Amino acid sequence: MQECTVNFVGFLSLLWNSAPDLLRLALIAMVPITLTSVGEVFSEKSGIVNIGLEGILLISAFTSLWAAEVTSSPWIGLLAGLGTGALIGWIHGLIAIPLKGDQVISGIGINLFALGFVAFGIMAVWKSAGYHQAPPAARVPALQTPLGDLSPLIPATILIAILTWFLLNKTVLGLRVKAVGENPEATDVAGISVERTRFFAVIYGASLAGLGGAYLSIDWLSTITKELSAGRGFIALANVVFSGLNPLLALLGGFLFGVFDTLALWIDTVSELKPCLPFAFHNFVKMLPYIATLAVVAVAIGHARFPKQSGQPYRRE
Amino acid sequence: MSESLAIQMLSIQKIYPDGTVALKGVNFDLRRGEIHGLLGENGAGKSTLTKILSGLLRPTEGKIFIRGKLKNFRNPSDALRSGIGMVHQHFALVPTFSALENILLGQEGSSNLSRLQMSKARARVEEMMRAGGFSVPLDARTESLAVGVQQRVEIIKMLYRSVDVLILDEPTAVLTPVEVHDFFKTLRTLRDAGKSIILITHKLKEILDVTDRVTVLRQGQNAGQIATPEATPEILARMMIGHDVLPSIEKKPTQIGSAIMQVSHLRVKDNLGLHSIEDLSFAVHAGEILGIAGVEGNGQTELVEAITGLRPVEHGEISINEKNIAGQNPRQLYQQGLAHVPEDRRRLGMILEFSLSENSILGVHREKRFHGWLGKILWGKVGSHTWDLIKKFSIVASDVKAPAKSLSGGNQQKLVCAREFDKQPSLVVAAQPTRGLDISATQYIRDQLVHLRDEGKAVLLVSADLEEIFQLSDRIAVMYEGKFMGVAKPEELDRERIGLMMGGVSALAAPVGEAAR
Repeated sequence: MQECTVNFVGFLSLLWNSAPDLLRLALIAMVPITLTSVGEVFSEKSGIVNIGLEGILLISAFTSLWAAEVTSSPWIGLLAGLGTGALIGWIHGLIAIPLKGDQVISGIGINLFALGFVAFGIMAVWKSAGYHQAPPAARVPALQTPLGDLSPLIPATILIAILTWFLLNKTVLGLRVKAVGENPEATDVAGISVERTRFFAVIYGASLAGLGGAYLSIDWLSTITKELSAGRGFIALANVVFSGLNPLLALLGGFLFGVFDTLALWIDTVSELKPCLPFAFHNFVKMLPYIATLAVVAVAIGHARFPKQSGQPYRRE
Repeated sequence: MSESLAIQMLSIQKIYPDGTVALKGVNFDLRRGEIHGLLGENGAGKSTLTKILSGLLRPTEGKIFIRGKLKNFRNPSDALRSGIGMVHQHFALVPTFSALENILLGQEGSSNLSRLQMSKARARVEEMMRAGGFSVPLDARTESLAVGVQQRVEIIKMLYRSVDVLILDEPTAVLTPVEVHDFFKTLRTLRDAGKSIILITHKLKEILDVTDRVTVLRQGQNAGQIATPEATPEILARMMIGHDVLPSIEKKPTQIGSAIMQVSHLRVKDNLGLHSIEDLSFAVHAGEILGIAGVEGNGQTELVEAITGLRPVEHGEISINEKNIAGQNPRQLYQQGLAHVPEDRRRLGMILEFSLSENSILGVHREKRFHGWLGKILWGKVGSHTWDLIKKFSIVASDVKAPAKSLSGGNQQKLVCAREFDKQPSLVVAAQPTRGLDISATQYIRDQLVHLRDEGKAVLLVSADLEEIFQLSDRIAVMYEGKFMGVAKPEELDRERIGLMMGGVSALAAPVGEAAR
């Protein structure tokens, strides 16, 4: 048994020395949470809440890996993830908008469906129980950067967050999306189709979650399991609350959740720390993202201002 | 079709999905460049007619011609494209948007992805405001603006869409008298600029002040049309109320007994935390009906809720039979002898999805006579009790197991009254008991209230219907901003004086006469 030689100052210097490493890991972990929450921000602005994000991540992870493997093209895989998200978003929209169903129920339905569908799908496609590794040809190639190899989806995620902010705040579409969330009747009277605007918003949001799912399976983790999404869809929902429905804050929040997500990995990689930590401490650290989620929601939810008609179907008269 | 008419509507009929017939073949026409008053009581069909015209509702039957062309609007944007815009009673504004964003919404530009051209829009809106002689702060959040200003935002919004026909639904309801004056000036400016305006109202004075012509509706039918210079308040009132005035109710001379309910120095807060009732004291005696008149929103709802245990009493006392009941819950109040016919029967009076049987014992379901072993409800007994009520109150119903929502509005209200009056109360609180009911149900319920009074019960009647107040009350109190402007016997009051009091003017020569005991 080694002696622990790291004091607090030593810990800080270790942290400092591995800052580039931590930053890289956080950027990597940021992508799925950020994409999903930025999309959900857009959707919720229009009044459609989609708590089925976890399910969309999981299903898209599966379909994109399948598509990428069959075509040997990770790009088609990404498109498949995007398309899967769009399709599920459309179904959620169908239930929530013209059928005026309960959005929470529909979201729970998506999550439950995903659990069964992906477990079954892995079995049916690859004949293996709950696990399949992505072949190299199906993986998104990395970019060479000063920080090391990074996925092209990292800059894409940052761009998408900025683009979504721009759409919401600087374009005609954004004004309409916000209007249908706050006062659909006024928007209707102003001659804007509430249904079409909401459909667009929910499909846009779900597509980004779908892209996040593809990133999980054919990029970052290069695998599919039936628990691959690991609650990131729910963390994204918390991040939406944290962001106060601002895509740029959702980007920041996504990064912070990314830091927590990678801390456990990092602690495992620092050999000097091993003797200092209680037994199985890294398992404790693994809880960090979830504890942070709870804390953020507890603190931020009182301040967050959601659209007036959030979750409410629109009925004329 | 004549092209000189901006709008012509022919035999418009509207039957709502729930079977309510709102319009029974109404004709309406609007000339270019006129202010046209649309007059009628609550439920006469004014709103329905204009909602059809603005594309929010589709008529069951009938034709609409715009500048001589037959049109069929599927939604409000169709109507807007034809130059028809409506300003609703509840504004169609996005509260978190700035005034400018609200004006712009739906008119922002060519495509969804184009950038918002705020500065261009601002220049145009400012130009329009200069021309129209009114202004609003364009950058403030809309929810922070006063209602009068929000209304102007709505009107600018419509003008920004280049509408020719502006429909205004009870626009003055939210305005102070000074604002009304300015508002009418704006309307005249718009008319002189060639716009046609439809002004929906039930206030005779406004019709005479500002309109050029009037169409009067009554119970979903045309009751007359007249050029305003030829109209007098009497003519309009006659058209509006018509000849089927309710037969007067026979009332025996009052034999007022002791005070059943006494309210002293009552203070109650409204939902926003403001004092809606401030230091109010009065009594209701056995064998009398005390009618509370007043424009809605002057504290009547809060008063009824405080008395019936639905709203906390901040200060003061309410006593029934000399027992302070402030703070008691509705069940305890029922045991003290209170019966309550609530204002909103569909929300507070009954559970629409429940059967008639279930509804007929709501609140009295704890009574032993309905229970068997271990508190099991004896539905057979409840059913026969319901049948008794149905017979006694001549409710039209086929089955006690049918859901309450299957009854017509009149029969629903009769069921609520039957249940409440059957409690053998000593005090009955009835809020808007005949609102929205047909004549026979109205008549029946009013008879029942008088009957209760003749039996020596105390009745507190809150109603926005002056006819009802005059017909039933032994004393009338007029409520204004949470206070009584005066209490008087019906014969000491006429419509004009009561109208003044409802508007906050004390109009009683001897303010609190004998009636004010």
